Amino acid sequence: MIRVRVIPVLLLGRGGMVKTKRFADPQYLGDPINAVRIFNEKQADELVILDIEATARGDVDFERIEDIVSEGFMPIAYGGGIRNTDQCAELFRRGVEKIVVNTALAESPQLVSDAAARFGSQSVVASIDVKPNLFRQPRAHTHGGRKATRYTPVELARTAVALGAGEIMLTAMTREGTFAGYDTALLAAVTEAVDVPVIANGGAGRIAHFVDAVVDGGCSAVAAGSLFVFAGKDAGVLITYPSEAELAEQFWSRIDGTVVH
Amino acid sequence: MIVIVDYGVGNLRSIQNMLARAGFEATIARDPQTIAQATKLILPGIGRFDYGMDSLRARGLVDVLNERVVGAQVPVLGICLGAQLLGRGSEEGGGGAGQGGRAKGLGWIPMDVVAFDRRRLVNGEKVPHMGWTDTTPAPNAVGGAGALFAGLDAPRFYYVHSYHFACDDAQDVLCSARHGYEFASGVRRGHIVGVQFHPEKSHRFGKQFLANFAALGTAAETATSAAAAAGAMAVGA
Amino acid sequence: MEPSSTSPASLALSAARSYGAALRVRTGVRDEPPLAKAPAAPPAAARTQPPRVCAKTVMDDSDPDIVFDADGVSNWWHDYQAAKAKRPDADRQAALLDATLTEVREHGRGKPYDCVLGVSGGVDSSYVAYLARQHGLRPLLVHFDNGWNDELAVHNIEKIVKTCGYRLHTFVMDWPEFRDLQRAYFKAGVLDLEVPTDHMIFGALHQVARRHGIGYVLTGTNFATEWLLPRAWHYSKRDLVNLQAIHRTHGETPMKRLPKIGVWQQLWYQRVQRIREVDILDLVPYRKTDAMRTLEREFGWTYYGGKHYESVFTRFYQGWILPMRFGIDKRRAHLSNLILNGELTRDEALAELAQPTYDPRQQMLDKQYVAKKLGWSAAEFDEILARPRTAHAAFGTDARQRKLAELAIRTLHPLARLVRGTARK
Repeated sequence: MIRVRVIPVLLLGRGGMVKTKRFADPQYLGDPINAVRIFNEKQADELVILDIEATARGDVDFERIEDIVSEGFMPIAYGGGIRNTDQCAELFRRGVEKIVVNTALAESPQLVSDAAARFGSQSVVASIDVKPNLFRQPRAHTHGGRKATRYTPVELARTAVALGAGEIMLTAMTREGTFAGYDTALLAAVTEAVDVPVIANGGAGRIAHFVDAVVDGGCSAVAAGSLFVFAGKDAGVLITYPSEAELAEQFWSRIDGTVVH
Repeated sequence: MIVIVDYGVGNLRSIQNMLARAGFEATIARDPQTIAQATKLILPGIGRFDYGMDSLRARGLVDVLNERVVGAQVPVLGICLGAQLLGRGSEEGGGGAGQGGRAKGLGWIPMDVVAFDRRRLVNGEKVPHMGWTDTTPAPNAVGGAGALFAGLDAPRFYYVHSYHFACDDAQDVLCSARHGYEFASGVRRGHIVGVQFHPEKSHRFGKQFLANFAALGTAAETATSAAAAAGAMAVGA
Repeated sequence: MEPSSTSPASLALSAARSYGAALRVRTGVRDEPPLAKAPAAPPAAARTQPPRVCAKTVMDDSDPDIVFDADGVSNWWHDYQAAKAKRPDADRQAALLDATLTEVREHGRGKPYDCVLGVSGGVDSSYVAYLARQHGLRPLLVHFDNGWNDELAVHNIEKIVKTCGYRLHTFVMDWPEFRDLQRAYFKAGVLDLEVPTDHMIFGALHQVARRHGIGYVLTGTNFATEWLLPRAWHYSKRDLVNLQAIHRTHGETPMKRLPKIGVWQQLWYQRVQRIREVDILDLVPYRKTDAMRTLEREFGWTYYGGKHYESVFTRFYQGWILPMRFGIDKRRAHLSNLILNGELTRDEALAELAQPTYDPRQQMLDKQYVAKKLGWSAAEFDEILARPRTAHAAFGTDARQRKLAELAIRTLHPLARLVRGTARK
């Protein structure tokens, strides 16, 4: 039974943690340090922490990031405002395992290839946010989803891999925070086009959706935000993470035989 | 004194923090003087093989490491890239097995580091191998896998790598994991230990493993094993 | 529930009593201690004699107000017998419970929720949720996230939510503001570092109840395990004057989003909005050990160690700060309560007290964590913890406001009844 990774995604903003819905309406969730501590106690596989204000702010708050990631003894990927490889080195020194690039894929690809060359592909995650344009065609977006590029998700994914990214996190912007399920068509299009592991993100509402992401979407790992920070759809903030038994029974045992890892 | 070698690569703080949680103090050091006083060494590392070796050399650390490990027989634990450096060399960066790419390793264990054989990844497994994988201690590891895996029942660890160990001698294999095929995921020759996985990123399993290494050869070793057996592996902290 | 609680005579009577009592359904629960004098900061460290311990409970003279009789039995034992005698017997309890539940259900008819229930993941509030389910109430569960939740607490809340299917509303404290308030309390050197949390919970609970038009707040307060608490070991959670004074002196961030609740607001909630607190655990035979077993069985609930150790901050405060800095081991009060409740023997309590409050290694890790969360280096934290202690009252209290409020109730209550009728949602 393959243990497909299940990854909570935390967004930093508003002086703490926030959760958006379809990349809008950030809702304040509280202190990220304690959240990571709780995820650590729950033995979460991995975490992705994205500072959604960093790119606009133009810096990386190393002290704060270290305070947060030092509570987690699992791999933690950080993204937001990274502009050069020295910042990456500093992040790794402080406990980050992988760096996440988003806007850089389209606007400063040199950063991606430099980071991959210096630290190895497995340390670089390309985060691609996707939303359909006016003609219902999927387009990659940057700057926290605010700026549309002309790239399709497949094009940008291929570019990311060519630049040296070792993993892709693919987020369906219109599904984010809806609990309605992943966009498996989008996932499948990208997983078929690239060789590196693809992490599904955006829309997970229950463990059954994880199965869909792997079986229908071809993903190697699954990520979720709202599912792990709210007690349920339209419910209050509560950090949760499925137990191993739940994951084994409802997820991993149901994807046996599917090409994945 | 446990010294975590800072040669510009790797997750030093995480290792230090995890050891602290397990009750062991460790120092992060980059200068030969401090390293020369180590009673145990940890060699971390992520990234490219040749970059790692170049960094060690550029910082003038190869001599003191040789003195400590080969000369004074100080126990050393290599983690991920740090473990790969313990061998003769790596295919990474070009060059075949045994030719050690562009840079040779420390040569403390007769092994090479080779790329995953993609022909044997029959179920479409991807490279790098990334994720939590069950790890089995080898029954006939020289020096025993027992002490290092004390208190670890069916452990899994976090792996992220594209290359793995290829030992000359099966007895140097400490533990193995499976990614498409079974490969050596840990090596041990006496006081020299190397693991491909990241204990500092492996929750309670990693904490127990690091604690076991830190307790090696001390009175604490028996205590650690006993405590582990008594179920000290509680979730959290 | 007292049937005469809305009669003029009863209202006047309750107004003349301690303010705290006026806000609660009269079930014989011990009132908020009247703040006639400031609790003295107990002297630290070096004792010349060993502490004197009560012969029946385990309270000792770290309670500066303790009095021992000729047999070495403390006032706590005697006071408890007296207080217990005044409490309703089992039949009366059952009748009160029945009447209360009926009123709550009646009042909530046609509305999405009939009561608000604050859940912390701890025994008391979790057991209240169990009772709510047993008796078919429809609570809105409210959780206060002050940024210090322990994982087990969160786990327990999850179990309750998933098992009962209740709706959970989380009131997330603004962390930068809350942190600043906590820092202010540390800098002030005052005793009760839980006041920020407890005060804001109190305020938030009422805010949520009001917003949803709910008239009843089920609390986890209980005589059985909480009656015994020396005045000198805590400070009023409701005193906003004190809180604001401490913050004004030592805080840096204005408190804009924190749900403060002052005397007048409390009055408004109680008299005009008619939000009533129900100490439901006083209406059932409550035994902590039985409660925990029930919760484990019914919800898959897990014990987190110690009373209130569902919060990392509380664990460190009660387990390290109170003993080390103030010479107070709050376990003495908790364990004495259990002795009085017949759940523990004195020997068992003494054995427990001989142990550290909790794992010393965890205490050091918690200390690092608390310092980190509050934004202090280890050295800075040590310096702050070494500052001289200051009595709460030195910053001023809400005594004057409360007197005014009592006066207002007495003179204006007929008017209030009129307003109440129209303000009710």
